[in-house]
Amino acid sequence: MRVELADLVFSQDSFTLRGSGTFDEGVHLVSGPVGSGKSTLALLLAGLLRPERGAVRRHGVLTTQLLLQFPEHHITSPTIAGEAASWGLVPEDALALAELSARADDDPFHLSRGELKRLTLACALLRDPDLLLLDEPFSSLDCTAKRRACRMLEKRDAGITVVFSHERAVLPRVDAIWEMEEGVLAARGSVPDAIPSWQHAPPYLRCALEQGARPMNIRLSDAREALCRIRG
Amino acid sequence: MQDPRLRLLVTVVLSLAAFASTAGAVAALVWWLLATPRTKVLPRPGVLLSLIAMIAATALVSAWGGGPGLSYFVRMTVVLLLAAWAYAETEEGEMLAVAVWALGNRIGFEIGLIAEMGIGGLAVIRQDIEHVRIAMALKGIRPGIRSIVPLAVTLIVTEIRRSEEIARLLAVRGYTLGGRISPRFRTGSKDVLASLSAVILGFLSCLSLRDVFILLG
Repeated sequence: MRVELADLVFSQDSFTLRGSGTFDEGVHLVSGPVGSGKSTLALLLAGLLRPERGAVRRHGVLTTQLLLQFPEHHITSPTIAGEAASWGLVPEDALALAELSARADDDPFHLSRGELKRLTLACALLRDPDLLLLDEPFSSLDCTAKRRACRMLEKRDAGITVVFSHERAVLPRVDAIWEMEEGVLAARGSVPDAIPSWQHAPPYLRCALEQGARPMNIRLSDAREALCRIRG
Repeated sequence: MQDPRLRLLVTVVLSLAAFASTAGAVAALVWWLLATPRTKVLPRPGVLLSLIAMIAATALVSAWGGGPGLSYFVRMTVVLLLAAWAYAETEEGEMLAVAVWALGNRIGFEIGLIAEMGIGGLAVIRQDIEHVRIAMALKGIRPGIRSIVPLAVTLIVTEIRRSEEIARLLAVRGYTLGGRISPRFRTGSKDVLASLSAVILGFLSCLSLRDVFILLG
C-alpha cells in the first residue's frame, strides 16, 4: 500500500504547490509554517482538489479519510450522537472514545472547538481507513488531549497515516518526516536519520541535537532519552 | 459600473420593468447584454442552472394551471441576470455608503449596515454549503431527499448563531444606533450613459407599444 505524488503541481491565485514522493505504510509527519500549503496538500491527497499537472496515485488504498482542520466543517447533523452516526459509526463507541458520552443529545455547535476536535478525531480513527489524512489534528486541544491523540495515532498499526501539523510541542512517534516551505514539499526521509535535517524541528529536538544527542524519534521523551544516553 | 448609487438605481428600475411585463424583460435583457460584462458576472454554472431550474419549475406549475408560465420564466430569468450582475459588481462597504448618502448617518447607517451584513452573509452561506458538501463527500453521504432536512437545519442554525455573535460583538464594541461615515463615489461618463439608457428603457417598457410610437413620432 502506498500513495505516490508524481510531479504534482497545483495553483490557486498566486499560490503554487509542488511536490513529488511516496507515502508508504506508517505514520508520516508533514510539518511547516502556517500558510505553507499543508491543507492544500491534504485536500489533494484526499482527491478533493485536482492537480493542475502531475498526479496522486494510490496503490492498494481502498478507503481514504480526511480530518479537516476546522472540526465545525464536518458537522452535518443537529445532535452529537447523530454526528457520530453520520460517519457510519456506532455513536456510543465514538462518544466513549471522545469522552463525550454524557452529551449525546446536545447540539454539536454547543461543544467547544477542542471537544469537537476530539469527536471528529475519534470518528476518523474509528473508521480505520487505509489512508488517514489528519489536517492539524492537535490544534484547539489542550496538552492532555494532544498526548491522548498521539497515543491513539500510535496505536494505528496498519495503513498510511499522514499528519499535517505545525505543532512543535506534543508530537506522535512517526516513521517519516516531510516539510512544506512556501508551497514546495520536501522529503526529509525516515526517522531517525531525517531528524538532523528537519528544519522545522521543535526546540527540544534542536537542543538535544546541539548537545550531540541522537534521538530515535521526535517526541519529547525521545529527546530526553537521547540526552540521558550521552550523559550516562 | 463604478458608482454604486447608479448601479442600485439601474437594478431597481430594470428589475421592476422586467417583473412588470415581458416587453420590460426583453428591454432589460438588451440592456444587460450591452452594458454589463455578461457571462463574467454570472455565478458558477451549477448554481445558475439550479436557480433557473427553480424558476422553470414554478413557470411550469403556472402554465399547467393556465397561467402565463413562459412570460413568468422570461421575466424572472432576466431579474436573476440583473441580480447576478449587481451582486458581482458590489464591493464591501458600498451599500453602507449608498444608504448613508441617501438617508443620513442615523437611519441610513442602520439600513446600510443591515444590507452589508446581508450581502456578506450570502458569501458566508456559500462557503458553509461548500463545507457541508465536502463533509458529506468525506463521510460518504450521497446528497438526496433524506439528507436535505438535517443539512438545511444545520445551515439555518449556523446562520442564526453567527447573527447572534455579530450582534453581541456590536454591543460589546458599544454600538447603539447610527454611525458616522463620509461616503465618496466615482462616477464615470459611461456610468451616466448606461444609467440613462436603463431609465429610458424602463420608462418605455411601462408604456404600451402604441404609446411608444406616439412618443417617438
